[in-house]
Amino acid sequence: MSATATDKSAKISVRGLKKSFGSNEVLKGLDVDVAEGEVVCVIGPSGSGKSTFLRCLNKLEDITAGTVTVNGFDLTDAKVDLNTVRQNIGMVFQHFNLFPHMSVIQNIMLAPVELKKLDKAGAREKAMELLRRVGLAEKADARPASLSGGQKQRVAIARALAMNPGIMLFDEATSALDPEMVGEVLQVIRDLAAEGMTMVVVTHEMGFAREVADRVIFMDAGYICEEGTPEAIFSNAQQPRLQEFLAKVL
Amino acid sequence: MRKLPPIRRRRGGSFAALAAFFTVVIMFFGMGGATALSMPAPASAVSAGVQAADVNGKTFAIATDTTFAPFEFRDGSGELVGIDMDLIRAIAKDQGFEVDIKSLGFDAALQALQSNQVAGVIAGMSITDERKKIFDFSAPYFDSGVQMAVAKNDQDIKSYEGLTGKTVTAKRGSEGETFANSIKDQYGFKVKALADSATMYDDVKAGNSVAVFDDYPVLAYGVSQNNGLKIVTEKEQGSSYGFAVNKGANADLLTAFDAGLANLKANGEYDKILDKYLAKAESTEQGGFFELVKDSFPALMKGLWLTIVATVLSLAVALVLGVLFGFFKVSESKILRGVATTYVAIFRGTPLLVQAFFFYFGLPQMTGQPIDVLTAGVLTLSLNAGAYMTEIVRGGIQSVDPGQLEASRSLGLSYVTSMRRVVVPQAIKIMTPSFINQFVITLKDTSLLAVIGFAELTYQGQQIYASNFRTGETLLIVAALYFIVITALTQLSNVLDRKFNK
Repeated sequence: MSATATDKSAKISVRGLKKSFGSNEVLKGLDVDVAEGEVVCVIGPSGSGKSTFLRCLNKLEDITAGTVTVNGFDLTDAKVDLNTVRQNIGMVFQHFNLFPHMSVIQNIMLAPVELKKLDKAGAREKAMELLRRVGLAEKADARPASLSGGQKQRVAIARALAMNPGIMLFDEATSALDPEMVGEVLQVIRDLAAEGMTMVVVTHEMGFAREVADRVIFMDAGYICEEGTPEAIFSNAQQPRLQEFLAKVL
Repeated sequence: MRKLPPIRRRRGGSFAALAAFFTVVIMFFGMGGATALSMPAPASAVSAGVQAADVNGKTFAIATDTTFAPFEFRDGSGELVGIDMDLIRAIAKDQGFEVDIKSLGFDAALQALQSNQVAGVIAGMSITDERKKIFDFSAPYFDSGVQMAVAKNDQDIKSYEGLTGKTVTAKRGSEGETFANSIKDQYGFKVKALADSATMYDDVKAGNSVAVFDDYPVLAYGVSQNNGLKIVTEKEQGSSYGFAVNKGANADLLTAFDAGLANLKANGEYDKILDKYLAKAESTEQGGFFELVKDSFPALMKGLWLTIVATVLSLAVALVLGVLFGFFKVSESKILRGVATTYVAIFRGTPLLVQAFFFYFGLPQMTGQPIDVLTAGVLTLSLNAGAYMTEIVRGGIQSVDPGQLEASRSLGLSYVTSMRRVVVPQAIKIMTPSFINQFVITLKDTSLLAVIGFAELTYQGQQIYASNFRTGETLLIVAALYFIVITALTQLSNVLDRKFNK
């Protein structure tokens, strides 16, 4: 547990993170700390590297250079058991990625049962509790295919919470939804924020970012262009790139 | 389709060509020229036969053709009979040794003799100077020669003179073709070469040719079986058939054969055997179609059973290979991917027939380790089908949305668990139709094993029409059997697919 993090209280500590796909450098050296209970929203234009950055936080992408430390574990250290670290990081994807061959409740029970965290009965009880929390208890035995987009994403959130993670990552969780379903998903995320979950949220919902974020990071072309409180970012932008971006999206 | 006897009987070249071919295959498989050159020379190394001074009480493996009526063919009950068979058994009895007959096909029999898998070959084989370089021959046991036959109801053609302006047929590369060509200018007719006896006879009956030139015993037997022809000329001077052993090997066996043959000729048994197959016995008229179905049923069922056995065994092994190499193909290891890619490239990039020949003839020659025909057949089919299944498995896994694996990994599940619980169940659903398709293809591919003498359904069908000359009807029955089994298999698969892959 060699915590090389500079900020001891940080749940996530990123130093000099670089990521290249072939010769294309997508992340060009990022330094970010996320404190316990903090909600960080990442905004920026398409192709700025937001999602890649998020995917580096649980090492779904290989890290080209730099370090990513989560809960004191350096993900770039080959000796670190990624599976153990990931159990403490829930992730929600743009396209839900529910398992179509399983029922809703089986989707949620899979990890706790396979990883022997809970027995079947315990896992079912826990899954039902999570489904109630996202308002979908009556859909427990439905197949994902029969759900609406908003319902799917709420199930995906419940699934990500099944291992009781200390950190949640949201990768444009509402981008694939019809407008009338965005609200129900944001409400679930909002509730999690209120409960004090540590979260990194990549989003295009500026209003939401402004409302729930403790801190907003604006990324552009692989760099962190500007960061600060929602107030500072949305009402007092310093960088021309950010001003330009906000002018387009607000 | 495997041709009836034919051509090769007259040609010294076909065997040499095969040998050359295998040399190329060996080099192709990276064994290098040195290995190819050190291939056991004929008659060296492991001899299946015995060199002892006495053959008494010994058992010899004797190879023969699959069907070359009347010398070797299967009767209604599936027993191997014919002049060669009766003769070798009678001689064995006379000389006090045992024979283990292996019905391999003509080329295959010579291959088996060369690679010392058998001690001798008796297959209506002409004694030629080329063959004498490779084999030792017994005294001639049969004198062949070309005769001409016409349709039974043809009243016009009674001799070569009647052929002016007409077309005749002869077996490609055979003595009959050589003879017909030698007199065609003199009598003013054209020669059309066909591949096997049954086809030639059908050609004459259909009126496409007016006459056929064929070896006298083959023709005589066909006529005795009501093939719809009649012989109209005397036998021309022809070649002689001999029993062969590998050069310098099994001299005792050869001596015993000659001694036995002399005894049979002396006591009249030799003539009895010949009469049994060649005498113009006005045999009974052909039965109807349903009688043919009834008569051929036991043999065809035997064949169908072997077809199913070979299919099931091959698919089981192929499934294991396909899953193994399919996972290699999607793995992150370059080496594993390379291994799987090479495997698929080799077995998808070469014809199944070449693979069958290689495993049955090539491998034993290289290793000196004989291989039985079922093993060789299953090996061929499973390695071949395994290559296709590898691609099915790879395609199935890769067609599952990568987000599925990511979602599973993000939960902290290992690669193996993610594959097992998330990716593979979805891949199986995608792969099922392709698997069913491969099952059907492999079942039909078993028919190709007829060429190495594997007695499956097609082979049994060939055996039947080679001796009764009812090609069309027999093939209809064979095709119907395949159709029934494949349709049943497909229906069953679809039901299972619907049940488990909702």
